Amino acid sequence: MELYEKTASELSSMLKNKECSSVEITESVYNRIDKVESKVNSYITICKESAIEKAKEVDNAFAEGKELSPLAGIPIAVKDNISTKGIRTTCASKMLENYVPPFNATVVDKINSADMVITGKLNMDEFAMGSSTENSFFKKTCNPHDTSRVPGGSSGGSAASVASGEAIVSLGSDTGGSIRQPSSYCGVIGLKPTYSSVSRYGLVAFASSLDQIGPIARSVEDIAMLYSVICGRDKMDATSKVREYPDFKASLSPNIKGLRIGIPAEYYGEGIDDSVKSEVMNAVKEFEKNGAIVKNISLPSTEYAIKAYYIISSAEASSNLARFDGVKYGYRAENYENLIDMYEKTRSEGFGDEVKRRIMLGTFVLSSGYYDAYYKRAKLVQQKIKQEFNDTFNDVDIIITPTAPSKAFKIGENSDNPLKMYAADVCTVPVNIAGLPGLNIPCGYDNGMPIGLQIIGREFSEQTIFNAAYSYEKTVGNLCRIPSLD
Amino acid sequence: MNNNYEMVVGLEVHAELNTSSKIYCSCKNAFGLEVNSQVCPICMGMPGTLPTLNEKVVEYAIKMGHALNCKINPVCKQDRKNYFYPDLPKAYQISQAEVPLCENGHLDIMVDGKTKTIGVTRIHIEEDAGKLLHDDSFAGSLVDLNRCGVPLIEIVSEPDIRSVAEAKAYLETIKSILQYINISDCKMQEGSIRCDVNVSVHKIGEPFGTRCEMKNVNSFSAAARGIEFEANRQIEILENGGIIEQETRRWDDAKGESILMRTKENANDYRYFPEPDLLTIVVDEEKIAALKAELPELPNAKLKRYVNDFGISQNDGTLIAESVEKAKLFDDAVAFKKGTPKGIIKWILGDISKYINETGKSLSEIPITAKRLAELVEIIESGKISNASGKIVFETMIAENKEVADIVAEKNLSQNSDAGELEALARDVLSQNEKSVSDYKGGKTNALGFLVGQCMKASKGQANPGMMRDIVIKLLSE
Amino acid sequence: MDIDIKYIAKLSRISINSNDEQKFRKNMQEIVDMVNGLPEINEELALDKNNAMILRDDIAETGKFSREELMKNAPEVQAGCLVVPKTVE
Repeated sequence: MELYEKTASELSSMLKNKECSSVEITESVYNRIDKVESKVNSYITICKESAIEKAKEVDNAFAEGKELSPLAGIPIAVKDNISTKGIRTTCASKMLENYVPPFNATVVDKINSADMVITGKLNMDEFAMGSSTENSFFKKTCNPHDTSRVPGGSSGGSAASVASGEAIVSLGSDTGGSIRQPSSYCGVIGLKPTYSSVSRYGLVAFASSLDQIGPIARSVEDIAMLYSVICGRDKMDATSKVREYPDFKASLSPNIKGLRIGIPAEYYGEGIDDSVKSEVMNAVKEFEKNGAIVKNISLPSTEYAIKAYYIISSAEASSNLARFDGVKYGYRAENYENLIDMYEKTRSEGFGDEVKRRIMLGTFVLSSGYYDAYYKRAKLVQQKIKQEFNDTFNDVDIIITPTAPSKAFKIGENSDNPLKMYAADVCTVPVNIAGLPGLNIPCGYDNGMPIGLQIIGREFSEQTIFNAAYSYEKTVGNLCRIPSLD
Repeated sequence: MNNNYEMVVGLEVHAELNTSSKIYCSCKNAFGLEVNSQVCPICMGMPGTLPTLNEKVVEYAIKMGHALNCKINPVCKQDRKNYFYPDLPKAYQISQAEVPLCENGHLDIMVDGKTKTIGVTRIHIEEDAGKLLHDDSFAGSLVDLNRCGVPLIEIVSEPDIRSVAEAKAYLETIKSILQYINISDCKMQEGSIRCDVNVSVHKIGEPFGTRCEMKNVNSFSAAARGIEFEANRQIEILENGGIIEQETRRWDDAKGESILMRTKENANDYRYFPEPDLLTIVVDEEKIAALKAELPELPNAKLKRYVNDFGISQNDGTLIAESVEKAKLFDDAVAFKKGTPKGIIKWILGDISKYINETGKSLSEIPITAKRLAELVEIIESGKISNASGKIVFETMIAENKEVADIVAEKNLSQNSDAGELEALARDVLSQNEKSVSDYKGGKTNALGFLVGQCMKASKGQANPGMMRDIVIKLLSE
Repeated sequence: MDIDIKYIAKLSRISINSNDEQKFRKNMQEIVDMVNGLPEINEELALDKNNAMILRDDIAETGKFSREELMKNAPEVQAGCLVVPKTVE
């Protein structure tokens, strides 16, 4: 077994026991990248030199007997909307093709402090808008399990890199499902943390009230370890919460006796593939065998979540993306007649169609005369959806749903149909709308393509979610398998 | 202005707060430094950056709210105002739309000796924009972002103002309060207070007219000129049978006219919505009360005290009370109980103000302390030195930074007020001027001046002139 | 409902040519139709006072970033300033 195939927690023990070095691990990952990147296209920017440098530093520190963090020396790849000082951060947009941030996102400072090794920046849908990673200005990432299919999105590179062994773990961002849905499509584990638990400072904003950075990995332990590194109050992010967090890995327990699992009917209805439903329900039986109590529940406002989501997220995006105007950084059109012409040409040439659609939708729902009918109403619906989840969590501890309505679709299949594309997020969007944590774990296959289930918990109940996933992982064995891609 | 008409004016005053750091980032809040030197990724609007609200800004705004008798909202939020302009790096300004920090206040102003109450609609916090620099030698415009994120409060008045004089009084009072509570430098030339003006006119007795907003009013005198111009412009249109369109105009102070910026149809659609990067601002009631307790005595209260307790005229009292520095000097000097308040005020509004106006110095920069001023007034009022000597003491004090007593001694200025000595001296002089004495007694009263003058001369100018004169009259009538 | 796509594009500072206009109009119409039909909820948006923000201490920090560092991504810089086409008020 190659080093790149192992999990972070396995590699962490090996490093401690001096069974391998960080340089060896890092090189193994780069060898894998050399071998399969041309088929998968996970990365926008590869930083081999600085990564090997960092790995050497860590090895030296280990050799000197220094006490390092559990993830020290472990390679990590980062979605390209998370700011990295001195490494270009493009958001997969022509607009930021050559933009190099002068500062690190807080999560990047945290993974640096934990002495993790950053291997590169990952492909995504432009400005995280999309569900297939086809909206990247640079390249289309392919699903490692079938390269004719999409990896999901918007964190397609984050999921595909971990699934293909091009990364041990990665960071993605999730606004409406952008970590969980690609994790489901690529057969890896991905967490959308509770809103306000991970600092957004340095994450190029799509929809500020919904965005969260989260970990993607191939084992529950790895997710727990990486989440421990990135969570916590940040004084640079006014929306981040002051809170004590446990050592999530140390607190992992597979004992779920008495855990109450809610199965909401609305997530198993029309539009969800039968193969998905049956794989998810088979998995639920495993939870039940381990002592969980399964209850049928209802979340009637679910149908409105996707509408509210597109209004709120687009409204915020229209404002967040207004700063890309060709003045301070990024792309500027070459020929223009005056200031307004410069703005319009810059933005028309620099943004792709999906981004333009969302900006215009957001502008529309906030514009004079429409605010109350759209934005305000959507916020009220959001309030109601939150309340509904809160009430439900009086009766159950976690909720299990499919993560996506189907397995990964073919590249190009939905490109011309925004609405069909948006439907891929129907199961994940309500979780963002309610600010809750949600975890995708692989639970089966449909003709070789992974299917995932989503575990939703109360605010800040990540540990409960991890334990449930851990129990399932213990029961069925490795949740993720790396395709050979030969 | 045409007497058949009345103007209706509302003012929006923007005041930069004198905090150490900016409103949403830790950059220094400073004026006049090298271009783009007080900038960071946050106030430059770099992707991924987030705002964090400066606590002082909230406190300062609440203080102003208290000073203007506002209701303070213990729970409020911030909103984004979206528009594209090169001096606004995020392409939105973080401001407050629906729920401001303070609302429903009022302010008493004094015009022609009469008090008028002007309603204060609201006070909210927001960030300033950067600056655009234009140079004819250069085809483009240059952007300096130093001012981006400088904290502002916007104070919005009700349309209660009915004349240019009221507008001026309102603005001066606002400025004076900002200085009293020390939350703004109020440096007009640095643009630290600016205002937007809303003006409409109507025939007296008829309903209010359509209002026009005038932007870019950068000084109080410009506001006065702008309001006057705008009211006359509107009256002229109405008199010619036209109608007033609701529009935004720009005041060009150099040309002395307002220019159309945009009509109502082209009004900016700012797409306000709640700022998702910031949570609710919650200020607890104790803190709100504590901030109220911190307020100093404000100019209106001071004026009342000066008039009632010291019998000072409304005019003199206003001139002292509206200046933080003058009022402080006055209050401190009075506290020494060494000279009458009226005497002290005469000096502050007289020689001291004159000196300050001529030199452009501030009170704190000149060596006239409250103690020295009180002593100076006291020795003049008690007759120890003459008024003329008082001026010498004042000038010497400024030039040489010395104590009153030392100057008097050094320059030998003290006046002789010893009745016995003065009488002996007068007898002497009178006996040597018998002709003048008989002239006086023969009805030539102007001989008195000559005799007093001779006595003063004999005393080498040190006799108390009032006493000297009384003594001479007494001796002449013997 | 008809969306004034030209007005919205203008407000968004995005220019769309006539070919694209058709496409965007259709897309936008479909999306707006999709998001229509949200239920009317007779409540007000409550300010969340249990979610109070921690405010920042008023302490100025200087020298963390040089002007050169901050301006190096800018399309055009002169005399330490960003350059834009001439603005006329």
